Amino acid sequence: MTVKNRSRICLTVSCCIFVLALVLSLFGLGINQGIDFAGGMAMQYSMGKEVAQSDVEDVFKGMNIDAAVTVQGANRDEVNIRIKDIATEDVQTIQQRFVEGISEKYPDVTQNGEVNYVGPVAGRTLLSNAFWSVVIAAALMLIYIAIRFDFSSGLAAVLGLLHDVLMMLAFMVLLRSIIQMNSTFIAAMLTIVGYSINNTIVIFDRIRENEKKTPGDDRVTIVNRSVKECLGRTLNTTITTLITIVALYIMGVASIKEFALPIIVGILSGVYSANMINGYVWAMLDEKLSVGKKSKKVKAKA
Amino acid sequence: MSKKTSSNRKTGAIIGLCVLLVLTIVFGYLGFNGMPLDGRGLYRLLPWMPTTNAENWPESLALGLDLRGGVYVEYSAQQPDEIEGSFDALMDGTIAVIQQRLTDKGYPESTVQKINNGTGIRVEIPDVTDPQAVLDLIGTPAELSFRDPDGNEFMTGKQVQTASYFFADGDHQVAFTLTKDGAALFADMTAKSIGKQIAIYLDNEMLINPTVQSAIPNGSGVINGMGSEERARTIAAQIQSGALPLVLTQQKVDTVSATLGDEALSTSIRAAMIGILLVMLFMIIRYRMNGVVASWALCIYMLLLFFFIAVIPGIQLTLPGLAGIVLGIGMAVDANVIIYERFNEEMRAGRPARAAVRAGFKNAMSAILDSNVTTLIAAIVLLVYGTGSVQGFAKTLLLGVVVSMFSAVVITRMLMTWFVKVGLNKPSLYCTMKNTVEEEQK
Repeated sequence: MTVKNRSRICLTVSCCIFVLALVLSLFGLGINQGIDFAGGMAMQYSMGKEVAQSDVEDVFKGMNIDAAVTVQGANRDEVNIRIKDIATEDVQTIQQRFVEGISEKYPDVTQNGEVNYVGPVAGRTLLSNAFWSVVIAAALMLIYIAIRFDFSSGLAAVLGLLHDVLMMLAFMVLLRSIIQMNSTFIAAMLTIVGYSINNTIVIFDRIRENEKKTPGDDRVTIVNRSVKECLGRTLNTTITTLITIVALYIMGVASIKEFALPIIVGILSGVYSANMINGYVWAMLDEKLSVGKKSKKVKAKA
Repeated sequence: MSKKTSSNRKTGAIIGLCVLLVLTIVFGYLGFNGMPLDGRGLYRLLPWMPTTNAENWPESLALGLDLRGGVYVEYSAQQPDEIEGSFDALMDGTIAVIQQRLTDKGYPESTVQKINNGTGIRVEIPDVTDPQAVLDLIGTPAELSFRDPDGNEFMTGKQVQTASYFFADGDHQVAFTLTKDGAALFADMTAKSIGKQIAIYLDNEMLINPTVQSAIPNGSGVINGMGSEERARTIAAQIQSGALPLVLTQQKVDTVSATLGDEALSTSIRAAMIGILLVMLFMIIRYRMNGVVASWALCIYMLLLFFFIAVIPGIQLTLPGLAGIVLGIGMAVDANVIIYERFNEEMRAGRPARAAVRAGFKNAMSAILDSNVTTLIAAIVLLVYGTGSVQGFAKTLLLGVVVSMFSAVVITRMLMTWFVKVGLNKPSLYCTMKNTVEEEQK
């Protein structure tokens, strides 16, 4: 299979995943937003004995509040309660009324762990902050890579980043039943923005070197060779980074898992895009952008 | 002649390796145990390496709220119509008041900061057992108290009718008027206390303690010497409304219990340790002697990184911060992998080990530099635009990248050069001599 075909297939696969995620989102099965983004209130109670989910739900029904209840813990004696759309003033009253309502059946109920409240404004600020940080980081990287390499490398690398970020978002949709998006997702996303570009840079560095060594070869051949030469490094680096992050995911508490899983997805997506897509995109871009300049370039090198 | 220089080189390398080994061990011992030399005129060096035991956590490593337990609140602030003065000045006043209250009530480690371009306030209070009580505390009205010469309260803010800011005689002042019964109390007390001092306190902070010159019968007074307009306006607003100068609305509340924090801390540290050991194992299997170099460099990297986290003020270890460190480990190893792959390429091409070290570094450097700079860019953007825990993550990531560059460029290079000089230069110590890449090129 030629590089061209391989890269095209990979691009198509990625696009299919994006489209699938988009379609799911449009049908209401989008990202499972935690309260950091969606706003609302989350609290945890330890009930002292095994809980019937309906008991907890009934209390909230009685209060006319729409609450999402999940039962957790090894002994199924902990409940996690999420309520959307409530006003700040109600936070305390809701807690009190819930404890009053439930203590008939569960006298040992105690608040346990976190109680979080996020107003609707905070979530929006968080989102716009996240969006702008990614845009700014990408723009600065584009400039840096354009200076150190060339403009098409910068553009190809940033497009690769966009791919990885979209992939992380897409997997947040696909894995919505096991993971929530909270503010740490932004940190995870920016980690990937910083980290997965390394793979692309190392390969582009090889391309830069191979271009000088064999100026006669066409771009796709050079890309293919460079990717192959870097494969050992790419795989070993990815494995070592994954080892520690996966250890964190397996052993970590819920908030660590929320952070580690998107990073794992991002790292895998980064390796995939760096090896299968970005080089090819660079070759295409460079060809288009340097028509007319090409003769000059070759002369300069000779 | 050449034999002599080579044996000289060998001795130099052995000495170098021994010195670095001793340094690593000493620094490692200090990192975990510290140097308890206080009381003998020497400064005390605290341990700085993290442990899985949350109760014995080294005090030099500051923990964020998510690992330590505590309350995190974000407020948006509005200026009430009846309060005059610039919003920014009142904001600074509000922050000062909240900070003062929290300190008074036994939370001196709380931080109060402006957020969202100065339109909101973020309060972080560690080690809280009753979050709601603390939140109430922030919102409670300011307590004004008038105390007689013996320090006993004889009047409170309830007897104050109005308070306003004015500027006279080059001094920022607050003028107040009292209610009818307040005026009577005040007249009585001032008449009794001529020549003595009475004091006015706000939230236990003494505002003023003038010596009474004569009885004040008309129920009005002045607090002078407020220092700045901002302070005078804030105090006037507090006395007037009995509350904070600005109206605060909770936007976000996060409370983490200490037990949850402890659990998060110990499991992540344990996970990180297992991860690091597996990485070392992997590197040694994959790169043999160079894997030993990488593992050693990784130990030094960890010692340095946590040392800096401990000594640089303002860096707290948070959950995302821990993940940042784990990622930093990945980056540190990445630089090593790039170097070793290049080194192995040179070895396979038949170069002698010493030349391979030099060429390996030369070829790897541009990739290491470029990839680290791009990560730095992301970390800096996070630092500038992130809030709260995201910022904590950015700081550790930033530090991680810088220290990992140092460890890859300086430590790894030193170790590799010394290993080769000592005589560990057989290719089979470093890689298999497969020539797949070379052949394909031809």
